[in-house]
Amino acid sequence: MSDRSQLISTGTPFQFDKDRDAEFERLVKRYPTRESMILPALWLIQEQEGWISQEAMAYAADRIGTFATKLYEAATFYTMYHLHPMGKNHICVCRTLSCWLRGKQEIVDYLKDEIGIQPGQISENGMFSLEEVECLGHCGTAPVVQVNGEFHEDMDVDKLKSLLATLK
Amino acid sequence: MADKIKLFVNGVEVEVESGKNLIDAIGAVGIEIPHLCYHPALGADGNCRMCLVGIEDGRPPLVPACKTPAQEGMKVLLDAEHIKKIQHDVLEFELINHPTDCPVCDQAGECKLQDYYMSYDQVESRMTVPQVTKGKKMDFGGGVIHDQERCVLCGRCVRFCREITNTGELGIINRTDAARVNFFPGRPLSNRYGLNVVDLCPVGAMTSSDFRFKQRVWFMKKAPGICHGCSKGCNITIDHNREKYKDDIIYRFRPLYNEQVNGYFMCDEGRLSYKAENEGRLVEASIAKQVRPIDEVLAACEKEIGRAEKITVALSPNCSLEQMVTVKALAEKLGASLSGYSEGCLKKGDGDDYLIQDDKSANRAGLNILGIDCSKNGFETAVAEASLLINFNNDLSLSYQEKELKKLFKDTKIIAFATHDNECTKMADIAVPVASYSEYTGSIINCDNILQHFRKAIKKNDDLTDICEMGVRLGSPLQRDEQRFSELQQFISALKEFEPDKIPAEGLNLNDSEAANVNA
Amino acid sequence: MEVKILSAKFDIKDAHKIKVAKKHGAYSTLDKVFSMKPEDVIEVVKNSGLRGRGGAGFPAGVKWGFLPKDTGKPVYLAVNSDESEPATFKDRYILVKDPHMMIEGIIICSYAIGSHETYIYIRGEYTTQVKALQAAIDEAYKAGYLGEKVDGHDFKLNVTVHRGAGAYVCGEETALLESIEGRKGQPRSKPPFPAVAGLYGCPTIINNVQSIASLPFIIENGADAYKAYGTEKSSGTHLFGISGHVEKPGMYELPLGLPLLEVIDKVAGGVWKGRKLKGVIPGGSSTPVLLPEEAKTVTLDYESMAEHKTMFGSGGIVVLDETVDMVALVKNLIDFYHHESCGQCTPCREGLGWMLKIVKKILRGEGSMDDVNLLRELCDNIEMKTVCVLSAACTMPVRSYLDKFRHEFEAYVTKDDSSAVEAK
Repeated sequence: MSDRSQLISTGTPFQFDKDRDAEFERLVKRYPTRESMILPALWLIQEQEGWISQEAMAYAADRIGTFATKLYEAATFYTMYHLHPMGKNHICVCRTLSCWLRGKQEIVDYLKDEIGIQPGQISENGMFSLEEVECLGHCGTAPVVQVNGEFHEDMDVDKLKSLLATLK
Repeated sequence: MADKIKLFVNGVEVEVESGKNLIDAIGAVGIEIPHLCYHPALGADGNCRMCLVGIEDGRPPLVPACKTPAQEGMKVLLDAEHIKKIQHDVLEFELINHPTDCPVCDQAGECKLQDYYMSYDQVESRMTVPQVTKGKKMDFGGGVIHDQERCVLCGRCVRFCREITNTGELGIINRTDAARVNFFPGRPLSNRYGLNVVDLCPVGAMTSSDFRFKQRVWFMKKAPGICHGCSKGCNITIDHNREKYKDDIIYRFRPLYNEQVNGYFMCDEGRLSYKAENEGRLVEASIAKQVRPIDEVLAACEKEIGRAEKITVALSPNCSLEQMVTVKALAEKLGASLSGYSEGCLKKGDGDDYLIQDDKSANRAGLNILGIDCSKNGFETAVAEASLLINFNNDLSLSYQEKELKKLFKDTKIIAFATHDNECTKMADIAVPVASYSEYTGSIINCDNILQHFRKAIKKNDDLTDICEMGVRLGSPLQRDEQRFSELQQFISALKEFEPDKIPAEGLNLNDSEAANVNA
Repeated sequence: MEVKILSAKFDIKDAHKIKVAKKHGAYSTLDKVFSMKPEDVIEVVKNSGLRGRGGAGFPAGVKWGFLPKDTGKPVYLAVNSDESEPATFKDRYILVKDPHMMIEGIIICSYAIGSHETYIYIRGEYTTQVKALQAAIDEAYKAGYLGEKVDGHDFKLNVTVHRGAGAYVCGEETALLESIEGRKGQPRSKPPFPAVAGLYGCPTIINNVQSIASLPFIIENGADAYKAYGTEKSSGTHLFGISGHVEKPGMYELPLGLPLLEVIDKVAGGVWKGRKLKGVIPGGSSTPVLLPEEAKTVTLDYESMAEHKTMFGSGGIVVLDETVDMVALVKNLIDFYHHESCGQCTPCREGLGWMLKIVKKILRGEGSMDDVNLLRELCDNIEMKTVCVLSAACTMPVRSYLDKFRHEFEAYVTKDDSSAVEAK
């Protein structure tokens, strides 16, 4: 993995919105320790903002009542947490074994040509970000692409073309 | 006393204490099991894999010694070929991404990787691909500099901040070989024990900015001592060196393990108090602020003492018991009142629930056990009546403002015996330098009633005389060590069991026998 | 060859909805279960020979028997829905198509082990699946199958879904527990085993989704009915995933014990595009590869796989055709394991990174025979010296490729074209 140490500061303090606040309070009752809320809290932040800033992490640490380094550790360990703003449409292409055997590289190459981004980059107009991820558990319908959380199976360049058209 | 059990190491039967893990149990009988992440104060983590040992007929046959309790009849394999290969392989993995910083790394000479390389490896590197690179020379706050590339990710520093100081400034972020130690942005190391991570770090990933590049460890001599920064009396190792043509100076203090006093650690202020042993010292004797040869000055002292109508003597709570008892005898002989008033040493509220004490003096309990008055009233009354104060290293500027001191002593002459040049010595009519605690042998009693004995560690080119000898020079009847020790035995009955040089290194707990004597 | 035990309701419209599920028998075993003693439920599961379907294959009933009695601490059940082993894609069908079967299984297991708190650990990438799962759990609560009195019985049970966030290592049982507790997914040393000290230091059972979902059938029809499928030591059915270079990749439920090649040909349509078979990965990327001759004699059960020096694993079969560059495949695998290493212990953290760099060097044409030998040696140096088996999950298959396709690696370094394969 690349180094995820660099956190981005927004310069403004963070707070949960009403819904996330209520969800936090609902979930905290389900665990015997407040520290169990570290992963759920990070997800709530990402749902709310699309990514997790330094201030949001500090907020979660104080809300849970634990060291900020524990949030820092979890947020950098688990790769699904976005530590900087992503594109409006986040595209994940599976790169492991079965998807690799069944043509994931064509998809990555096509995206490079069509949108002009390599894995790990965000397009200039901010519409797309691309990530190569590990096995998504859809090997029987490889290659698979996940866009904004939705799975698109049996992908090929044509299907990708149509998909991108709906996103633009 | 723990039970003993018998087990086998490399086929040879050894007797070890039960209830310990294999590293501690077998280490106690002199057999080393290499390890990086285990530390007795922090417990076992099991991530470095250096301590893997074989257990014959064991299930599993390969175990981490740090997590394996010693059991009766266990057959531990250390020298077996396959174990040696594992030690070599694990060390190889530690070294492939380790930067060859030894020439510029402070840890060289006391580095576990260097030591283990010599013991378990000594083979050339097979790394022909680029190493992983990370951050270097990172300021972690608290005087700690971190090098992520040197780090072996043992996690000791993280566990220290979480479990010992409960401040949690450090964490290991990322995963796989991108993992590295860091602090949360804006929240660097900011606890009063942060520099302990420098000792804990088995390699040069955590270094002290104070010690950085100052001295190579193989040049330094290590002497045991006791920190005089507060009444805890943490045991220390005094690392000092006398370079050619220069004087013996102290380069650092490090904590020395003492189970009943400070455990494995010490506070940062105490650790850095070595500077006060080197700097700000009073080195020359003076009369009326004119530097004069010491013999001339001491003769002047004797003259002043001879013609003074009434003398009062002040003692520092940092003096050793031997010094206190010598001065007490001197005061009695001179018919002088004696006071240890030093309220300024007490910084109320500064102490914490770990090692740091409010009382920043090292041996106040000694004053109490010898029955020396420490009241403000007593002292001021004595000074008002006296025409001469002989001050044995009591820095009164801690307890009084300059104006107050001038008022207090407007009719009193002052002979000041001092380790440091301060307001007090500046005010004195006669000032005489004396040896500080790293330069003499003595005993002190800490805040928990533990009596500890320490030896002279530093020998200067021109050694200063210590307060005992000064007291004798001025007429104290306790002229020899044995006499002083006998006198102490009158006040501290526990000392009756020992000879002067045989006080146990871990200290003597006076609580059972002396509880009645000490009124703090 | 296909059967419909676990997948019985998969093709029924809206079977994920509780009303439809119940019409087809969901939750019908509960009265029977609650009339039995917990120890008897464990006994039935033991007798059925159900083995952990996550990949380790440990007998489920035996694992439940390890729980110490009367500790005074709560017993936890953690359901492993991390499903991140490459080539594995079975559990998500249960979560989406028949979640109530799993919830029923959770109730059965919880009753047997005396647990009132279940955490389902689902991988973060399963976004649509977690929604389906949560919807089913909400339905179950509403219908009274979860909560204070399960189906009216004097048994309380709460189920909480805990989302992972992108770490294969969290499929390892102790890493999973660490993740629930809010920490990085760094596996714990064993002993102590989770059955004794697991979640929050309390006795914990961790079972795979499919193992749990197998319970209703076993309770409904008895251990013998389950043993009627499969082989003597590998009973029951499995949701096999067949992927890679086949005509009809997909998930197929089959009894254990069928011949591998027959399954590939008859169920998945054989090697695609008329190509020749080069190798088969039998049970997920962590299993050693089988050559075509070996694939001829192996059957899909734990014993036969072990005899052929590989593993049944998660039942993720990957078919490799003649165009596969084995060196590039090894690079793909090492890349995966290196990326997923938790970084806790030295041999895996540093060693897998080293292996990746070496294989990349070989692929670039800059490698030497020493590099190939080193890559092979590192497999031995790393394996079993670590806290968990992620490192072995990398080194065991890589070793098999190096041993069985050595000529391809050597071709890269000697630049001999005769053995080299034109990479696709």
